[in-house]
Amino acid sequence: MTLDLQIIPFAIISIIMIGSSIMVVKSKEVVHSAFHCVIAMIGAAGLYVLLNAQFIAVVQLLVYVGAIGVMILFAVMLTARNEEVE
Amino acid sequence: MGIFEIIMDYLVIIFASNPFAPWIRGVLGGLVIGAVFGGALVMVYLERKFLGDMQSRIGPNRVGGRFGVLQLIADAIKLFTKEDIIPAKADKWLFIGAPIVALTSGFLMVAVIPFDYLYINGNYYAVAVSRMDISILYLEAVSGLAIFATFMAGWGSSSKYAVLAAFRNVAKMIGYEIPLGITIISVAVMAHSLDIVEIVEAQSSIWFIIAQPLGFVVFFIALLADVGRIPFDQTEAEEELVAGWATEYSGMRWGLAFFAEYLHAVVGSFIVTLIFLGGWNGLPIVGNLYIPGIFWVIAKVIIVMMLFIWIRAALPRYRIDQVIDIGWKVLIPLALLNLVWSTIIGLIWA
Repeated sequence: MTLDLQIIPFAIISIIMIGSSIMVVKSKEVVHSAFHCVIAMIGAAGLYVLLNAQFIAVVQLLVYVGAIGVMILFAVMLTARNEEVE
Repeated sequence: MGIFEIIMDYLVIIFASNPFAPWIRGVLGGLVIGAVFGGALVMVYLERKFLGDMQSRIGPNRVGGRFGVLQLIADAIKLFTKEDIIPAKADKWLFIGAPIVALTSGFLMVAVIPFDYLYINGNYYAVAVSRMDISILYLEAVSGLAIFATFMAGWGSSSKYAVLAAFRNVAKMIGYEIPLGITIISVAVMAHSLDIVEIVEAQSSIWFIIAQPLGFVVFFIALLADVGRIPFDQTEAEEELVAGWATEYSGMRWGLAFFAEYLHAVVGSFIVTLIFLGGWNGLPIVGNLYIPGIFWVIAKVIIVMMLFIWIRAALPRYRIDQVIDIGWKVLIPLALLNLVWSTIIGLIWA
């Protein structure tokens, strides 16, 4: 019974994660890739919550989203944009 | 029988019937979010009024009687009726998403804030939408999401002011999240828990502002930087950056961005109240008079808000390099010192 109910948020989060992971490699703009990467990481935190692992979910948010995601974005935004590459 | 006792009796009846019924949670969630929402509105009004007083001005005094209490509603109507402009060169989705992310982060933080701890029929119930074992860590993690709003707005509006504000914000946040985290750890060490309810309960004999005053000072300064208020509001320094990361926003989108900032300030006041000022533990001066914990919490929150406003009126803004210097060279060593102190004191008490 619990499995039946859990499959709905699991499906939603999985679709978001898969979609954003694909967009990480398919995006033209590198900043968009970085943001999609952050969305995928938040999705992973959501999956941990579904597994009843709240602590690791919060640590995922704190470390991967709050620190690594911000670092990736910061580095990307400091990089020069090459307009000629299409 | 006083009015408080009657209200408490009704709460007892509601809670004791089924403390975990979904509708109770729903009603409670609505009430709590409404309270914090209202708190943000009150803070905006108080800020304008008290800043006026402190700067020998009058402040809002036209709409809604002598004290201008309806000024905010007039402002909201104005914002709603303004044209919603999205710049032609803007990155549309990032531009639209930024205020949403900022508000979401604020509302997610509201979820774990407890207002009171009721003793009903032999059981304790926390008056909070959700009680987690690691709520203080959750608050820290979710407040970190707000930084993405600045990023999205900075990149999305393709405006130099917004980008500069985003850079400043990130440079500042990277430095100030560390002392904030370390002081939270020292509080958790002293309380032996990461649950805010238990942290407040641990302060029933002595508030943590007395047990670790250094931690309070470091936390308060880091929090000012975290919510971006003067003297740490370089991300929206009017004289340099127009309106910072919200420069290109207009109408209600700007209203949301503005409101999200105040929401973070209010939640910040709640965190200070709960982890340093004893939360719902009252002062002994009231004697035998029964005052519900929720009133203590709200009174302390309003005092902390006043402190924010007072600081804004009294202090000038730092330069961005000075801000980063303060974060890395002063606050982090002090926070580590406080961690050592609180560990020793905690061991002696245990």
